[in-house]
Amino acid sequence: MIKDRIVTLSATILLLCIVMSFLFPSQFPTVENFSQIMLNLSIDTIVAVGMMLLLISGVFDLSVGSIVAFSGGLAGYLMYYHDVNFLVAIAAALSGSLLIGFINGFLITKIGINPMIQTLAMMGVVRGVALMLSGAGIQNFPYEYNYIGQVKILGLQSPVWYMFAIVLIFSYLFKNIAFFRRYYFIGSNEKAAHLSGIEVEKMKLWGFVIVGLLAGIAGILLSSRLGAALSSSGKGLELRVITAVILGGASLSGGQGKIVGAFLGAAFMGIVGNILILTRVSGYWQEIILGVILILAVGIDQLIQKKK
Amino acid sequence: MKLGLKNISKSFEVVKALQDVSLEFQEGEVHAICGENGAGKSTLMNILTGNIQPDAGEILLDNQTVIIQNNQHARSLGINIVYQERSLTDGLSVAENIFPLPPTKSFGRINFGQLNQQTKALLQQLEIKEFSPATMVSTLSPAQKTLVEIAKALATNPAILLLDEPTASLTDKETNILFSVIRTLKQRGVTVLYISHRMAEIKLIADRVSVLKDGKYQDTLSTSDCKTEDIIRLMVGRDLQQVDVATHTIEEVVLSVKNLTGRGFKDISFDLKKGEIFGLGGLVGAGRTELAMAIFGATTIDSGTILKNGKRIINKHPKQGIANGIAYLPEERKTLGVFLQMSIVDNIISAQLYGKGYSVKTNNQKAGDYSKKLNIRSASVQQLMSKLSGGNQQKVVLAKWLNTQPDVLIVDEPTHGIDIGAKREIYKILKQLTADGKSILLISSEMEELLLLSDRIAVMREGKLKGILNKRNTSENEIIKLATQ
Repeated sequence: MIKDRIVTLSATILLLCIVMSFLFPSQFPTVENFSQIMLNLSIDTIVAVGMMLLLISGVFDLSVGSIVAFSGGLAGYLMYYHDVNFLVAIAAALSGSLLIGFINGFLITKIGINPMIQTLAMMGVVRGVALMLSGAGIQNFPYEYNYIGQVKILGLQSPVWYMFAIVLIFSYLFKNIAFFRRYYFIGSNEKAAHLSGIEVEKMKLWGFVIVGLLAGIAGILLSSRLGAALSSSGKGLELRVITAVILGGASLSGGQGKIVGAFLGAAFMGIVGNILILTRVSGYWQEIILGVILILAVGIDQLIQKKK
Repeated sequence: MKLGLKNISKSFEVVKALQDVSLEFQEGEVHAICGENGAGKSTLMNILTGNIQPDAGEILLDNQTVIIQNNQHARSLGINIVYQERSLTDGLSVAENIFPLPPTKSFGRINFGQLNQQTKALLQQLEIKEFSPATMVSTLSPAQKTLVEIAKALATNPAILLLDEPTASLTDKETNILFSVIRTLKQRGVTVLYISHRMAEIKLIADRVSVLKDGKYQDTLSTSDCKTEDIIRLMVGRDLQQVDVATHTIEEVVLSVKNLTGRGFKDISFDLKKGEIFGLGGLVGAGRTELAMAIFGATTIDSGTILKNGKRIINKHPKQGIANGIAYLPEERKTLGVFLQMSIVDNIISAQLYGKGYSVKTNNQKAGDYSKKLNIRSASVQQLMSKLSGGNQQKVVLAKWLNTQPDVLIVDEPTHGIDIGAKREIYKILKQLTADGKSILLISSEMEELLLLSDRIAVMREGKLKGILNKRNTSENEIIKLATQ
């Protein structure tokens, strides 16, 4: 089924591209348009990789969008108001993001707070912190900081390369490294995983830490690419990312999904977004369509499960 | 109302749960049904309450054939059941629990006055004085909750009441209260089907007792002129296969459990020798699984020590149990043992996701080796676990644990729900393992299996070890006696 999903999703994306190339031959199939699509989906994909990890183990995190804003905000705040070296600022932002993930994971696994409630609450808390840090927005970062997210390599902006690197690395890890394989076992049958000697709680805690870190990286890249830290960054990201991951073959009941699915899901959504812009559909509709796609994706997932 | 069963049969895949069972229950009698685990009692209950349909045979109510379609239909026919597991809502009052569809006034408002009146009348009829209709269920004791369950079942005015192990969680005193309620019911002409393991109770409360064994009807006895021995003999009553399996026990203690106490078991001590199969007998709920899980590290112990090869070990997590050379093949294969949506390979290596040595290539190799060794029938080791038969799944789980190279293998109901052929194969594998110097702790509710494989058998009842029997000079009767009395 997972393999099928990778194939069907790839085919759908390809089909969309072919149709669009015929309909908008001068606008759609251009290098410029594609690098733009890639750039737009790079941030989502980096977070989606983390979300895929969580969904494989059977949980999810709603606070990722806020962490993106927090990470960029903290780095910007330190550099702008305190003249902190950009590397130190990045280290601080990533540590902070990681800590948020740790708090999520700790409260969920040790205290037993429901993951949805915990990360929903954290989404609000962290968004507030991001607002305090960046206020109406921070600009004028050091050149080196902006360079990280704006440099072009082989015609593609750097976030696209970071995205590919992260997808490839995590794909490898999830195939070959026992630590990451454990997430499949946990998601597939948590009780059996426990009896197989897997430290389920500890692994889940690590999962939230990894997601926090990836969201932190996404936040740095986003603010560096824009040359600005905005407190509204990453709003609605959690919805887009969860949609992408479900489209990419994850199941809310856990145990299913591949990292490359996260990329394909995000790519599908990126292309749909691009199509909506090319066809001049209003921005309001984009939100509606996004929601409908998620419902469809989950609905189809449910029907498949029932058939089994 | 008179209830009759005629030639009822029911199979689940390969397991014949009921074979050609005919029974008759008279109006106003308390009729006990007993048998070992897996004798078919629950299947019988499920058929009578419409949860499942028999493959063959008929059910007669006052000599009229009926087909019980579902639970609700059973209730409308006058058959109601009190299950072992509770169905009460803690946050509501006794009255609201007893009448899930309460009397209402206009706009659907509950008529609490009438509801409490109804409940009061019902409780009075049953001569229950310990709580009132408005008492919150959360404040009641287990016994009182059982009484509420019974009242709830009686609120539908059943002519036939099924009680499934009603005294499982009750003290002697509470049991007496229950019995007086049952006697009241009997006077009102209600037919009570009473399922229990406890011989003493059956003699006390039942008029007649019917015995099932391996899904077959044995006999019906009148409790006033039969002995407990007679009932036990009927429950056991099979020609024991005198298969003499050579022992591989060496006089060297591998695992020594001393005064172990934890949730569900108390003060357990025994030694497991090298190459020995040490059987743990007893009824479901006797604390055997809890003990096994604690030794393995899946649950915590309150006090006592575990020595392995003379050295004290402390297993606080299955990971430590595995590291200390202990493996645990759990009961309930589907919920605790396998990863159904994962491949055979993944299942086989699932207890080795720590330490070095994880590689896709060697994993596949290992899985291939075990497939051959244990004769696991599959298209390839990449096949999903959900596509395998129960017997093959169990062999995969066995492979998984052998792969951890344990000295002590705990197997909990290793052949539950699998066919006879695969059963034999698993017996052979277990015996072979002891020949290779492994020690096995075998938990089984199947007497035949226990007697066939074990070198010694410890019997547990209500969390305590009641005795250790030597296979050479024990019998099924002796084990059942220790387990039930």
